[in-house]
Amino acid sequence: MPSKNVDMTTSPSVLAAEKKNAKIIPTLLMVDNALGSQDAVLTLIDRFTTSLTNGQAATLKTETRLAINVSELACVSLKDELKDLEFLGAPEVAVATPDGSCKVSMAYHYK
Amino acid sequence: MLELKPMPEATVTPGVPKLLQEGFYVRFTDLWPDTLSEVKGKLFQIEKTNQVPYDISRIIPQSDYCDIDLSNSSGAENIYPENTKTLYETLIGFKPGNYLVHFYIPAGEYLHRLEQTGMVPDVSSTTRKYLGARKPEDSPYDDKRIFSYSVKDLEPLILRTYVDTGIDYEKVVIGLLVNKCYLKQILSPTAEQMRLAKVIQYYTELRW
Repeated sequence: MPSKNVDMTTSPSVLAAEKKNAKIIPTLLMVDNALGSQDAVLTLIDRFTTSLTNGQAATLKTETRLAINVSELACVSLKDELKDLEFLGAPEVAVATPDGSCKVSMAYHYK
Repeated sequence: MLELKPMPEATVTPGVPKLLQEGFYVRFTDLWPDTLSEVKGKLFQIEKTNQVPYDISRIIPQSDYCDIDLSNSSGAENIYPENTKTLYETLIGFKPGNYLVHFYIPAGEYLHRLEQTGMVPDVSSTTRKYLGARKPEDSPYDDKRIFSYSVKDLEPLILRTYVDTGIDYEKVVIGLLVNKCYLKQILSPTAEQMRLAKVIQYYTELRW
């Protein structure tokens, strides 16, 4: 099962590359804000391009899949809470205020 | 030319091969058109096979659809043979999702319809979008149960993939397994060979 860790110096940060023939299913999300200098207001974003359809041209879309606020000095992990969450494209994490001391890790598999 | 093989009710030992194999016979009915005279009404033995997997995916908004053409037409998916001695047995399976698939061959002509006037698949109808539609669970990606048979220059088989309401966007992943079969014609088939042969119907035989 692959995983990736990013720090929130830049926002948004890519957590995994899109896989054309599969969805990405997160199995673990850990936010370490123990050394952070403020609350981390995070959103998990799904970035994908729709196909040309009967009704619409191909378009780049960003959909928010999860929003979480992790307090300064806190460390949070989510596992069961991620059940049924899936990404059609590339999962990204965005933070309200970039902070290199805030670390986000995500483990995932493909479906 | 398009079959849905249901779940077996019993298993047999030794198992029965799911795909056409070397040495198997196939027979094309007399209803194949004269334009496909290479196969019309003929019996062949399969000399060799080769299995080629391929995946097709689309991301589609809800209540919208995308037509996927499996033929070799311009802009299509190129899943048809180019050699007159080749038969493609294509297994079609779907990854889970909130979508339906309607089959058309050629474009605009439904493969699955009922006899009453108007009982035809229609993705713009709240009820008839489910008529004749295959769902992902009907032919799972890892246990493909929809079989289609194509030869060079057969009319295009279209998969209309429709994302049902209840989800903003859906990723449709269609898994194909193309069983390439190289054919050798049996010029004077015996009754036994005719009996053993898998009959491959022309698509018009599925509509009456």
